[in-house]
Amino acid sequence: MARPLRNTDSDGALYTRPTVVEVQIDQAIGLSRSDLGTRLSITDHSHPAYLRSECLVHLVREGRRTDDQQLMSSVLPVLLARCEANLLVKVPDGTLPDASGIRQQILEDLTDLFVLDGGGDFPDELDFYECRFNLAFRSLRIDGVRRAMRRRGRTIRTVDLPTSDVSGEPDAYEDAFARVSENFKVLPTQEWDVFREPFVKAIEALPDDEREAVILVHVLGYKEESENPDEETAATRCKCTGRTIRNRLSRAAAKLSRFKEDL
Amino acid sequence: MSQTLDATPHALREAYYVLSTAQEVPDAKLLDDIVRRYPQFGQELTEFAISIAVDALRGDSVVEAAEAAIDTTAVSPAVSRAMSHFQNRLHAHTTRAPEVKSAHQFADAANPFAGLSRSEYRAFAARLNANAVFVGKLRDRQIDPLTMTPGFQAHVAKELTAPLDVVMAHFSARQAAPTGQFFKAEGKPTAGAQQSFEEAVRNSGLSEAQQTFLLEL
Repeated sequence: MARPLRNTDSDGALYTRPTVVEVQIDQAIGLSRSDLGTRLSITDHSHPAYLRSECLVHLVREGRRTDDQQLMSSVLPVLLARCEANLLVKVPDGTLPDASGIRQQILEDLTDLFVLDGGGDFPDELDFYECRFNLAFRSLRIDGVRRAMRRRGRTIRTVDLPTSDVSGEPDAYEDAFARVSENFKVLPTQEWDVFREPFVKAIEALPDDEREAVILVHVLGYKEESENPDEETAATRCKCTGRTIRNRLSRAAAKLSRFKEDL
Repeated sequence: MSQTLDATPHALREAYYVLSTAQEVPDAKLLDDIVRRYPQFGQELTEFAISIAVDALRGDSVVEAAEAAIDTTAVSPAVSRAMSHFQNRLHAHTTRAPEVKSAHQFADAANPFAGLSRSEYRAFAARLNANAVFVGKLRDRQIDPLTMTPGFQAHVAKELTAPLDVVMAHFSARQAAPTGQFFKAEGKPTAGAQQSFEEAVRNSGLSEAQQTFLLEL
């Protein structure tokens, strides 16, 4: 049986791995090194013998804990290769200055977690990766990119979009944003895949304040403002007035209005 | 420590993980809950939630296809460099093993919160006349122990039914920031940002009565 995790949630309860991960870890620990190598070579997620990344994290931690160099050297490169594939998609060349350097830094940040596992100021950090690897790695990646951009004193390069007068296009506002909200709830769909890339680029091209307003209201579901002073809203999150939020949404809608026809 | 991890305080990194792993796409309720738990990072968490949402908009189907296309018979230069980095760091880390190990053992032994179940944790928060957010800060050593009043420290020890020196050792352990020459950061690494006792009391969602009680201990 896999060693219990030690990280705790806000109520003090221990985190637990999904059952499917627990089962797979139990199987993997009992494999011969030869059989483990065979399992590690499977890259098809749908293959029944595919080892999930959460399981690989556990194996590397076990290798680290028991000083099993062979285990670490056989499993960690496989995990890193998956992460590299992820990064090549999420942090592609051309979208950020020194994208390859940022990708490398994130990979090395991940290896640092294994080196420091069980110690340092966050000894159980890898517990998150044994529960939901992709979402934990997303956190590491996004934090790494944001930090790299701040170090460079730049913002992500975006494409300028033509502006238009939103007052004449109320339908575009409603249609575009309604579709944004809807598609966030049912990601991904084939229909959405057609428009995904240009639409994401358009969202990213918005000025920071307009993008924040759009995401807070139409994706996270905040009200623009509220008469209840205790209620968090897009306005309170952005530390501005409800009118400012509405103005930002209007300007954003104008810039996104060209997607009305496509959407 | 690497640039990325070193520059992000432990508590903020944890908050990012909680935000990212709870749901594919965060919603207002989740963000509100996490900001209540980490009120000192409200702005950072809001920006991070927005980044997650935009990232989620791209979907993961392309990533899955890329992972499925990995050639497992070859190691890429990037992975090779990362493995080299790992081996070098591991070697450097293990050469200072006695120092590190003893520090870890101390931290493990001194953590009086480690064995609390969910119900015990809540009960302790109630006995302390506080809430889970505030107790989380105690557990995670987010409060500068030098700013705590002796009365408060004694109150915690009493309600935890733990020796005062063990409780104080737990609070102080966070101060032992990792040191050494094996860091890429421009400056020496430091312990994660800590709040003063009063800041922690004021910013944990405690009632006025609870704040007054704790500050007057």
